[in-house]
Amino acid sequence: MILELEDAVKRYDSGEETLTVIDGVDFGVERGEFVTVMGPSGCGKTTMLNMLGLLDEPSEGTVRLKGEDVTGLDERERTRARKESIGFVFQYFYLIPSLTAEENVEAPTVFSGGSGGRAAELLEKVGLGDRKDHKPNELSGGQKQRVALARALVNEPDVLLADEPTGNLDKGTSKRALEQIRSVCDEGVGVVAVTHDERVKEYSDRDVQLDDGVVV
Amino acid sequence: MARRNIMRNSLRSALACFGIVIGVVAIASLGILGFTLQAGFMDNMGDVANQIEVTPASGGDDPMGGTPTEDTLSDRDVRDVRQAAVGASVLPVKEEVVEIEYGTSSVTRTAYSVPEPDALFDAEEGRVPAQMSSGVLVGSTLAETTEVNVGSAVTVDNSSYRIVGILEEEPWTAPLNPNFGIIVPEGELRDEEYSSVIVEDESAEAANSTAQRIDESMNRRDDVVEVQESSEMIENIQEQQRLLNLFLIGVGSISLFVAGVSILNVMLMSTVERREEIGVLRAVGVQRTSVLKILLAEAALLGFVGGAVGVAFSILIGGVINHFMLEDALMVFRPANLRYLLTAMGFAVGISLLSGAYPAWKAANKRPVEALRG
Repeated sequence: MILELEDAVKRYDSGEETLTVIDGVDFGVERGEFVTVMGPSGCGKTTMLNMLGLLDEPSEGTVRLKGEDVTGLDERERTRARKESIGFVFQYFYLIPSLTAEENVEAPTVFSGGSGGRAAELLEKVGLGDRKDHKPNELSGGQKQRVALARALVNEPDVLLADEPTGNLDKGTSKRALEQIRSVCDEGVGVVAVTHDERVKEYSDRDVQLDDGVVV
Repeated sequence: MARRNIMRNSLRSALACFGIVIGVVAIASLGILGFTLQAGFMDNMGDVANQIEVTPASGGDDPMGGTPTEDTLSDRDVRDVRQAAVGASVLPVKEEVVEIEYGTSSVTRTAYSVPEPDALFDAEEGRVPAQMSSGVLVGSTLAETTEVNVGSAVTVDNSSYRIVGILEEEPWTAPLNPNFGIIVPEGELRDEEYSSVIVEDESAEAANSTAQRIDESMNRRDDVVEVQESSEMIENIQEQQRLLNLFLIGVGSISLFVAGVSILNVMLMSTVERREEIGVLRAVGVQRTSVLKILLAEAALLGFVGGAVGVAFSILIGGVINHFMLEDALMVFRPANLRYLLTAMGFAVGISLLSGAYPAWKAANKRPVEALRG
């Protein structure tokens, strides 16, 4: 397993009430495997993804990255682990509007010496070689998502986490985005996509149903 | 990257920058103005700091019931001054109110006589002779109002003279100030006694100790003379000016402080707006310190640009002030002025960094998962 959750529990304290969002989940993804996590809104998909992506810590249980327990790492070490091993794709893309497509892809690397031309290669690969000097507001939704995908890959991650990757795309562009994620997977990167879009399943190796914080 | 982020909301950034510009201009040009006032004052007053004026002690009636204090100095008094002020030049002055006729008009003014007038005065026109024999020197204000020239004839109390020089304007702190009067040859005035004695020493410090010696030797028993140093008065005035200057700079600092608040506002707004971007950067492995650095760089850049523009404006304004007050615009580049400019610049960047620090710290420490919650 490249990335796994072991009996993970996530609770939120809101005053007197304690809300258990994730309740004892065991989950893992292999290198080169595409896993879809399905479930209705509010079932804890995003929380699970955040724990996998070291953005959030489980209240109980263990997170393992490449076999190593990363549960208790401090913020700095977690940030470094994210940089080295994990790529993110978000539903709302979150591109930086003042930067061009290429600069957006390079953004994660600017504080560590740049991507050395990898940003341009990745844009070429996702079919945006001719758009690399465009600003986000000059790109369509599908193109933005591909820039976001290229950005997620610029640090050569071992695993790619996607939160509703097709949530803001129409049918045609969804297909293209999913094909590209699939091809990333075929290069040996583990992929976890959380979604309620049934179409994503068609591209994945395995799907997991999450309901009320439990895998069913 | 910092530059681009600022450009993204260029109007807002420009306004914040503008605040800094105003603050810097306020500090620097008020500082320069104050310094220029000081410099202008010293240009005028500086050369009389080494002069002492010895006048008869004013006391009205003698408290012991003796004879009233005299209002002139005798030859003996002058000799005493000479003895006390070894090494300095001692110039006894006589003065008298006279009728001056020129052309067809006449005025009533004070006439002075002093040996070696060239030691005390400079000529605006004509020359100041070392010994006055048959000519007279006209004070600058009197020359202006009467419109007399070098070479023309005047009559002082029925004696005719030719004007040999028009004097430069004397500072009002000078012990002997003949701006409104006339200087006539010694011996032309009927008075036997002297109204005052001017002692000119090598420096202000030397004048200070000489003044003390005169006071000690002549006023041992009774207050015979009053000794007034120009340097003392000048020091007082300088102290006042220094306070005024501090006050001016204080006023300027307030405006820079206000500018700092506006940068705080801009940075807060901008970090709130960019919450998600910052969250993404953090998610993809950008360290907190890097986020902090970039936001601080933005604040510093705002401060630097505002400061630089402000300094440029201040040099311009300072140049104009100096041009009109000291008749040399380039005087603005004197070290003391450069110090004001540098201080203002430092303040600008410092205040910007300070007000950028809180928003930057807040943004950098936000957990990415919260920033991305939408």
